[in-house]
Amino acid sequence: MAKCFSTLQFHPERCDGCIECMTACAQAKAGTDDLRFSRIRILPSINGSGHELALCRQCADPVCVMNCPSGALTKNADTGVVDWAGDKCVDCLLCTAGCAYAGIVYEAEVGHVSKCDMCDGAPACVAACKNGALEHRTEARLFNGFAEKEDMFCPGLAACHGCNSELLIRHTMRMVGPDSVVAAPPGCIPGMGTVGYNGQTGAKVPIFHSLLTNTATMLAGVKMQYNRVGREVIAVALSGDGGTADAGFQSVSGAAERNDPILFICVDNEGYMNTGMQASGVTPYGSWSSTTPVGGAMQGKRTEAKNLPVIMTMHNCSYVATASPAFLEDYYAKLAKAIEVSKTGMAYLHVYTPCPTGWRFPSSMTTEVCRMQVRTNFVALWEYDPENGLRFTHKVDRPEPVSNYLKMIGKYRHLSEEQVAHIQRTVDDKIAYLDQLTKIETHAAASAH
Amino acid sequence: MHSKYLIVGSSHAALEGATAIRLIDSDGTLAMLTRDARLPYSPTILPYVVSGRSRPDKVKLRDESYFRANAIDFVSDATVASLDPAQQSLCLVSGETRRYDKLLIATGAAPALPPVPGLREVPYHVLRSMNDAVGLHEAMQHAKSALVLGAGLIGMHAAENMAEARIGVCVVEMQRHALSGYFEPRASTIIERTFTRNGIRMLMGRTLQRVERAGEGCRATLSDGSTIEADLLLVCTGVKPNMDFLAGSGIETEAGILVDDRMRTSAPNVWAAGDVAQARGFWGDKVLNGILPNAVEQGRIAGLDMADDAGLQPFPGAVPLNTYSFFGQQAISVGRAHADDGVDVKESGDDDKGVYRRIALKDGKLIGIATINDFIDAGVMWQLILRGTDLSAVRDKFIADPMLTGRQLMSQTWR
Amino acid sequence: MSVATAKERPNTNTPRSVVVEGNEAAAIGVGLSRPDVVAVYPITPQSSLVEHISQMIADGRLNASLMNVEGEHAVLNGLQGVALAGGRTFTATSGPGIAFMFEPYVRTPGLRLPMVASLVTRDLLSPQCVWGGQQDAMVVREAGWIQMHCETVQEILDTTVMAYKIAEHRDVMLPVNVCHDGNYLSFGVTRVELPEQEQVDKFLGPAATNWHIALDPLRPMGVDPLTGGSGGPGARNFVRYRKGECRGMQNALRVISEVHAEWAERFGRSHAPLIEEYRLDDADYALVTIGGMTGAAKDAVDIARDQGEAVGLIKVKTFRPFPLEAMTKALAKVNRVGVVDRSVSFGWNSGPVYAETLGALYHTGKPIPAVSFIGGLAGADITAEHFARAIALTRDLKWQSGPREPVWLNEND
Repeated sequence: MAKCFSTLQFHPERCDGCIECMTACAQAKAGTDDLRFSRIRILPSINGSGHELALCRQCADPVCVMNCPSGALTKNADTGVVDWAGDKCVDCLLCTAGCAYAGIVYEAEVGHVSKCDMCDGAPACVAACKNGALEHRTEARLFNGFAEKEDMFCPGLAACHGCNSELLIRHTMRMVGPDSVVAAPPGCIPGMGTVGYNGQTGAKVPIFHSLLTNTATMLAGVKMQYNRVGREVIAVALSGDGGTADAGFQSVSGAAERNDPILFICVDNEGYMNTGMQASGVTPYGSWSSTTPVGGAMQGKRTEAKNLPVIMTMHNCSYVATASPAFLEDYYAKLAKAIEVSKTGMAYLHVYTPCPTGWRFPSSMTTEVCRMQVRTNFVALWEYDPENGLRFTHKVDRPEPVSNYLKMIGKYRHLSEEQVAHIQRTVDDKIAYLDQLTKIETHAAASAH
Repeated sequence: MHSKYLIVGSSHAALEGATAIRLIDSDGTLAMLTRDARLPYSPTILPYVVSGRSRPDKVKLRDESYFRANAIDFVSDATVASLDPAQQSLCLVSGETRRYDKLLIATGAAPALPPVPGLREVPYHVLRSMNDAVGLHEAMQHAKSALVLGAGLIGMHAAENMAEARIGVCVVEMQRHALSGYFEPRASTIIERTFTRNGIRMLMGRTLQRVERAGEGCRATLSDGSTIEADLLLVCTGVKPNMDFLAGSGIETEAGILVDDRMRTSAPNVWAAGDVAQARGFWGDKVLNGILPNAVEQGRIAGLDMADDAGLQPFPGAVPLNTYSFFGQQAISVGRAHADDGVDVKESGDDDKGVYRRIALKDGKLIGIATINDFIDAGVMWQLILRGTDLSAVRDKFIADPMLTGRQLMSQTWR
Repeated sequence: MSVATAKERPNTNTPRSVVVEGNEAAAIGVGLSRPDVVAVYPITPQSSLVEHISQMIADGRLNASLMNVEGEHAVLNGLQGVALAGGRTFTATSGPGIAFMFEPYVRTPGLRLPMVASLVTRDLLSPQCVWGGQQDAMVVREAGWIQMHCETVQEILDTTVMAYKIAEHRDVMLPVNVCHDGNYLSFGVTRVELPEQEQVDKFLGPAATNWHIALDPLRPMGVDPLTGGSGGPGARNFVRYRKGECRGMQNALRVISEVHAEWAERFGRSHAPLIEEYRLDDADYALVTIGGMTGAAKDAVDIARDQGEAVGLIKVKTFRPFPLEAMTKALAKVNRVGVVDRSVSFGWNSGPVYAETLGALYHTGKPIPAVSFIGGLAGADITAEHFARAIALTRDLKWQSGPREPVWLNEND
């Protein structure tokens, strides 16, 4: 299995052009302040108002390596760094023809090509950056850790092209591990074959095709019995939004109120996608669905989506968080907490998972859609526990207008300007409301518990 | 023997083809045949072997562990004699038959000998294989004088190597200037002058009339009537695709094997890539584009298509490109910098200092750039051409500092 | 013989008998059966049953986990989880409760989960009504649960314990409803004899609920994957499961009889397992009854016998699976039959037990006059006088001249 690697991320909006990073690089690589020896290059923006970066991206499929006739360049399978061996290099410069970003360049003073080597995992440029414009992203360790864990689902699950739910449940169950019981109520997740067909299973863990209405309680029963006999088993629900917000809500609410020790994950695709894209209680205002169609008398859903994760916080269960598949490290952190919490109380994760089939957008765009949901505040990423209250985990300082998100999605194609303005208002209101929740002093509540 | 994927050749196009196949299909049987006896190496490295800078055993592009890890059956000393696309089989010189589901022809090119009377009767060298390079390196140990026929990249490289080895070198080129495929006359002149300064006789615009044996070496008579005697004769007058074995196969060829933008030949289940392939040029007709980056890209596209990659991006068209180091100096050419047909051309530099820059724009888009001793990022320029980036708004900035402007533009696209 | 209420009864030094209502007798039976988890949700007239159990757990007299859930639907869902994890379960419900429970209820037999639940029978809405009646049991009679209807408070206790042994029998593996009439039996207070815990432990043995399917990381499997379709393996699999359920039901007839016999042997109390024949052998005609009404019916039969009437009685205890063979044998002894139902078959315009009795009559090869009586709806009392009327009407039945309509016993009360 391919490995993931640490990388350098540039945040141009934080860069003030001080070029301390370049000095640090020249010092680290050549013991000089001569910036021509720096392998990272901060450039002024072409319009003069910001900064650009020329730096080796340590590509996964490095064309510089492919173009090298001498074997001097290799992609290091352990570190991911594109290594350059000076003793093999013949200075032909063909590598520079392979790089679209000027990551490997020739400097006459240096005498041959040079490129970033990531300083053996401790980049000097990052240490020198005062503004956090350069970030050493090491989440790869996390991904690799996941890769080493066993996939708890069989190959060949039949999710739609571009569906993030399969990715989500595979990642989730890798972390949860084999000592678990999974319940999947009717919907896309069993529909893609997780519970199997005709007596054959799609999972390596015990998995149950629970009812749409009963998942939380059923799992609570499983967990209760294992607690009785002293066995530690993680009880996981992989439910859609119908099985959580609508028909399943009574069960979810009851389990949350009792703080049943289960991990309930709502994979929210904003409707009944498996049965043909009907609307659910969390289908957003204005959204086309097969039961909130668009016609002369009706232009998509006429009511708002209920904010289910916020409702869940009102149950005072042990942990509630929202997540997006485009922000997996955020999700991993929350999942790790949720797994731990679920040993003693209820953990509820609400994951917003756009549906390319039902929402009408290209299957290649799913992760972009996820990103844009967060960038526009259409989706807010936060977590809650009774002791510490609610806090944002990925606050968006300058959100893009929600129209940038809506126009990506076919199910909003019909929206009028008034409807878009209305959605923008509700998004703003939602964030303002969540913001108020983050400010609640919870010490009293904590001591009361 | 049968394999799902069969690749003939073992250089850049072949290797990238194999790697691409393995990205998609980790199980399908894959065999790679090469006429060479060695592990894969790059023809581009040969001048450095000639000079002694690179040792033959240190320039492998892949070693056995690569083939093992990727489950590739690497077969050396295997020369193809004929191909039968209908039977999906090919015949080796050894008589062995190989069957395939999908075939990639990446056999590269071989030296093309000019029709010079007497040439085949005298000892001469070419430079296309490792054996050629080793042989030439050996011969240089004893030679005092050398005649290099052809002032292309290989010939120029070799001439430089010989001069550095204190051999008296004479380069004879039919065209009026050296490296005329990449540089227009002004740039070529700067390069030729450097060669001349380093003691190399540059006889441009001349052809060989006749060659005859003279002692251990040869005597050549040029079109201007002069004669040159040399211990060593190196013929670098271009290459021709290795495709003789296609005779009778029905596969369409012109100068090379004709391929479409997915590197498919006219025969089902047969692909071709690299120096042997004649693919669409970025600006029009199908062309041979015998450069390493082209082989890499074509090999990769062919491999992905053979493995049915759904997300395959077809070949954008061949763009000439080269980076050339000579006597510690650098010349870089991307695209059609020498174009002069209705083109916005800016030339600058200082011929005496050997600094040169020529930028060719058309309709606000870059179509070529060439520099000497004025570093530009060839990859950045290549992308600006391929992407058709509109430079109208930044034309002056680009003319003033193409390297900086190019980097700025590409940095923006990466975010 | 010492007498004490269950609440005062200490865990050790168990008294041999107590005076309790029917719901508490069921609770005692549950306690003796040592379930792992009891899920509770109140509904009249069942509530005191789960209250008694909750108190037993609160007092530490019963080492079970108490699941306080948000409705009957959740009750059964939670217990399915427990059973799939290997636990023994109990719950109780009634009337609208079983209606709400219906979705997981119909699924339990298909999962072959040997769960035991009391069904304190109640009439169904509407008209709005909180009183006894057996409409709830009759509505769910094709859900695949075993149904045993009790006649007395003692039988409730004893049958509740026996239900676990029947449900968990390897040849059965089906859920059991132990039914007793709301109001009359649920709140009727009598003395009951208590089995010894040690004896019950020996009788029941350890729980065996998930040897066939389990949600257990030690033996992972997909439980209830999708099946069915227009043909091929899906349809074939489905048939295999359905036939298995039917076979389990038929096996239950044998197992119920064996378990009742073993109970009589171990505890000295005998209850008719499938049907009870009362004064039937020399009878010319008979009443058919089900559940708590049978006591009054037997009194009426005794009175009629004293008056020289050759009347007998057949009590249905096990209604699901329907004891066809036993019924056929019993019906073959008489020439006229009147069937008293506490519920309605809307489709047949009769009582449901009546309709099924007609089905059994077919197997006697002897068509005889029969009449449907419907009484005791919505908590109404069916007295000895009502039964006397039923006896008289049945005695006078003639072939094809009897009433085509059901006789509504409480219509003119």
